[in-house]
Amino acid sequence: MISFRGLKKSFAGKEVLRGVDLEVKRGEVLFIIGTSGVGKSVTIKHLVGLMRPDGGELWLDGARVDTLDERALYDVRKKCAMVFQHATLFDSMTLLENVALPLRKHRKLSERAAETEAMRYLEMVHMQSFAHSYPAELGDGTRKRAAIARALTVGPEYVLFDEPTTGLDPVSARRIDKLIRELADEQKMTSIVVSHDLTSIFSVADRVALLYRGVVHAVGTPAEIRASQDPVVQQFIHGRSDGPMETPGF
Amino acid sequence: MIALSVDVLEKTFAGAIRWLLRGRRGASITRGEVLRQLYQIGNRSLLFVCVTLGFLGMVLVFQTCLQVNRITGDLSQVGAEFIKILVHEFGPSLTAMMLATRVGAGIAAEIGSMVVTEQIDALRMNGVDPVDYLIVPRFLASLVMTGALTTIGVGAAILMGALTAYYSFHLNPVVFLDPSHVRLGDLATGVMKCAAYGAAVPIVAGICGLAARGGSEGVGTATTRAVISASFVVILLDFFLSGFALFTFQRGGL
Repeated sequence: MISFRGLKKSFAGKEVLRGVDLEVKRGEVLFIIGTSGVGKSVTIKHLVGLMRPDGGELWLDGARVDTLDERALYDVRKKCAMVFQHATLFDSMTLLENVALPLRKHRKLSERAAETEAMRYLEMVHMQSFAHSYPAELGDGTRKRAAIARALTVGPEYVLFDEPTTGLDPVSARRIDKLIRELADEQKMTSIVVSHDLTSIFSVADRVALLYRGVVHAVGTPAEIRASQDPVVQQFIHGRSDGPMETPGF
Repeated sequence: MIALSVDVLEKTFAGAIRWLLRGRRGASITRGEVLRQLYQIGNRSLLFVCVTLGFLGMVLVFQTCLQVNRITGDLSQVGAEFIKILVHEFGPSLTAMMLATRVGAGIAAEIGSMVVTEQIDALRMNGVDPVDYLIVPRFLASLVMTGALTTIGVGAAILMGALTAYYSFHLNPVVFLDPSHVRLGDLATGVMKCAAYGAAVPIVAGICGLAARGGSEGVGTATTRAVISASFVVILLDFFLSGFALFTFQRGGL
């Protein structure tokens, strides 16, 4: 189980997270939603030590992780993989080499064994035919799927997705949604998905948490969120420009 | 920034020593990556360094001969002193300044872009230390190539200086190309400076790159900061190492 307890973070004096409290149960797909700049990505990056909180605590399976040093965080990152917004594949490597990298580093496999194993993960996301292509030769959706394969290689129990469907065409976006759902249903993987793609939210999520003004404003199942009478929730899920919701920068 | 600098310094030296002692087994970096950086830093800076030091050699010799001609008219010692000052001072320092601009900017821009596109975070998530993977190969390559480029650059400056002295002041190249004033202390100072500059430029540029924040504007700021900081560090090191050499080699009669 993942637990965010009173998580606080400021950038240059600007308070982004003001005390996020959230629990993620094993095996569920939790969507963190909210307007741009509200701190959704910042929240999940704290869990794997890519950012350090100013206050609050982070717990992963009963162990506190926000106080760990970089070396100890390697074990957290094996358990809790992350798929970044821009795929972040390394341009100088083929897809196969990209996917093999964590196998060599985290699991200490030889180059040959890592590539054999990497091919298995590429097959899992139906990407085996692109194994020897370079990221620059591929489209965004294909790169994202390869990034998911790379994240899965360390055998994680949790996967963090940072806006996985942003910038994708509807077909590619739905393929990514399907993949996230399959990971939860078939492999019992727990996922936290940062998104503001309403189609994804209501077709994939088990629960949804709306982040607003640096705190979790509302949390519940998609049906509960849809039925909520809260004006902020209603404005967000209907994508209305008028309403009580403040959008940073507007 | 201070914590980042200490971390990068510590990891770079530890990573380099580990790689030198244990080769591929000891570090995240591969031999191929070090060779690629040797090519990037060395071969691709060669023309730039040779042209710059060649022209500086021409200007320095021309101006020196002009002044000496007005005062004594005896140009016989110009070449010997020119070679001496090139070996212990101008050769390493000017080469390092060139590398601070060309190589320093390149390293900071590359690493800075990786920071703002989250590739550094992706490396950390994949169990790879960004300092070990990105800065150590550049550090090792820079250490080797600063010495090599200085040697070639000094050669270019001497050659152009000799040609300038011959064509402008009819000074016999045999008289000009006199290395007798170069002492062991001069050579030791030159080697020491090459090693210090070769180590400093990639570390300073790497720190600036890793400290990049924001988007493309952040990368631009990091690149500018890398060039200024690396050049400043070269000047500072030059001051302290020249002082050190003065009090050790010259007082010791070397």
